[in-house]
Amino acid sequence: MQKHILIVDDEPSIREVLESFLTQSGYRVTAVSTAHEAESVASRDVPNLVITDLQLEDSDGLEMIDRLKTLLPDTPMMLLTGVLFDPKVVRNVLNKKVSCYVDKLAPLSRIMEEVERLAGK
Amino acid sequence: MNDKTTRRVLILFLLIIAVFVAVAVLSVRNINRSVAASDWVNHTHAVILETEGLRSALYVGDGASHAYVVTGDARDKRSCVEALSDVDEHLQILAALTRTEPSQKEQVARIAVLVNRRSDFIRGVVAARQAAGPEAVRSMLAEDAGQPALKGIQGAVDKLKDDELGLLTERDTASFLQAQTVRWTVWTGVTLDFLLLAGTGWLVSDDIAARRRAAAVLTEANERLEAKVLERTAELASANGLLTTENLERRWANQGLEHQLRYNQLIINSINDLVFVITKATNISRVNPAVVRLTGHETHELIHVPFSSIARITGEGAPAMIDPIPQAMNAGHDLREQRAVIVDKLGREIPVRMALFPLRDRDKVVGGVVILQVVPSAETGKT
Repeated sequence: MQKHILIVDDEPSIREVLESFLTQSGYRVTAVSTAHEAESVASRDVPNLVITDLQLEDSDGLEMIDRLKTLLPDTPMMLLTGVLFDPKVVRNVLNKKVSCYVDKLAPLSRIMEEVERLAGK
Repeated sequence: MNDKTTRRVLILFLLIIAVFVAVAVLSVRNINRSVAASDWVNHTHAVILETEGLRSALYVGDGASHAYVVTGDARDKRSCVEALSDVDEHLQILAALTRTEPSQKEQVARIAVLVNRRSDFIRGVVAARQAAGPEAVRSMLAEDAGQPALKGIQGAVDKLKDDELGLLTERDTASFLQAQTVRWTVWTGVTLDFLLLAGTGWLVSDDIAARRRAAAVLTEANERLEAKVLERTAELASANGLLTTENLERRWANQGLEHQLRYNQLIINSINDLVFVITKATNISRVNPAVVRLTGHETHELIHVPFSSIARITGEGAPAMIDPIPQAMNAGHDLREQRAVIVDKLGREIPVRMALFPLRDRDKVVGGVVILQVVPSAETGKT
């Protein structure tokens, strides 16, 4: 059974590369651009992992994560953003809200490590 | 079937056909000879039969003439005449049968002379008896006492018959030998043909076996090739996967950098204060759009221009003798809340508050960020 990963990012190129990479690695991927679409998908096709950007067109990624957690309390959430946070901020703030924080300058192999850790192979 | 085997099989079939033809020709020739020998045997038997008939008729005629001499009965005379007529007939047939055989022809001619002479004698006895009675032929019969002429004829006929029987034995032997030859020819031909057919069969089966071996080798080679192709395809798929991953990784890295650059640019450009990035030599290396809007200079007109050429610190009192900006950068200190003016494209001086923050890269000051805030006109006292 393929693991389902939900990607939320407002940049099409980011969505496209991530979707290709994860699909090639054997995951089933749904990629959307807004928080509204993400919540809609999550309600009808429960993902094994949510990967989201911080800055979305219609919302804030962390706020969306808060909403999704009520719907999917057991689903891990990964914050994948170009906003570079100080490690202290990551440790004290972000890690309380998300399962994992990865910046967009990290290589795909690093992202894959986290995906495999959170969603399984 | 390969060319070599085809040629060999063709040659063997030609040999088989040649043997068949040879056997057929020899057999037909021997059959013709047998037929000829059979004709000759029949001919010989006919000669012997006619010879016997001649002798018998002659004896009958001779006997009938003697009876007629004694009885004078016309029936005896008629028997005598008929027997002599048979003699003539047998002689003619014998002459006809032996006309192509010189030695027999000669013998028959001699016999004919003797037989004709005897027939004439018999006819003479019968004529004398009829003309002058029994007394007239007494002297003639007395001369014929012991019948030496008949013994002579008998001897000649026996010789001819013996010769014919001798030839018959000779031809019989030849006929037997011919039959033996035909048997040998046929059996030899059949045996040879069977051997050739067996050879052809062996060649064909050997060729089929070779083909099967070649097919097995080909199948094995195909299987090996297929395995190699599968292996190579897997390698290529793996290499392709790696390449795709590398490509995606490269695209991802580029996008990350672009995103980061764009985000940083966005932050700087979103600030309404005038932001200058200057080098260690205080030349302008970057400005934000607020600078362009306020001064009327295009960005390219400001790049690599000394910062002091468009802005200067005025301070609270008299102008400082030494520009504090290079000093602060060299010392790695911030400058804050400095009164300064900026000159726009039209040469107007606009009062601003200036702050300088040295740019540090690995603990070295490599330049600075200058932020200018336009002083509201209320503060400057201008209306």
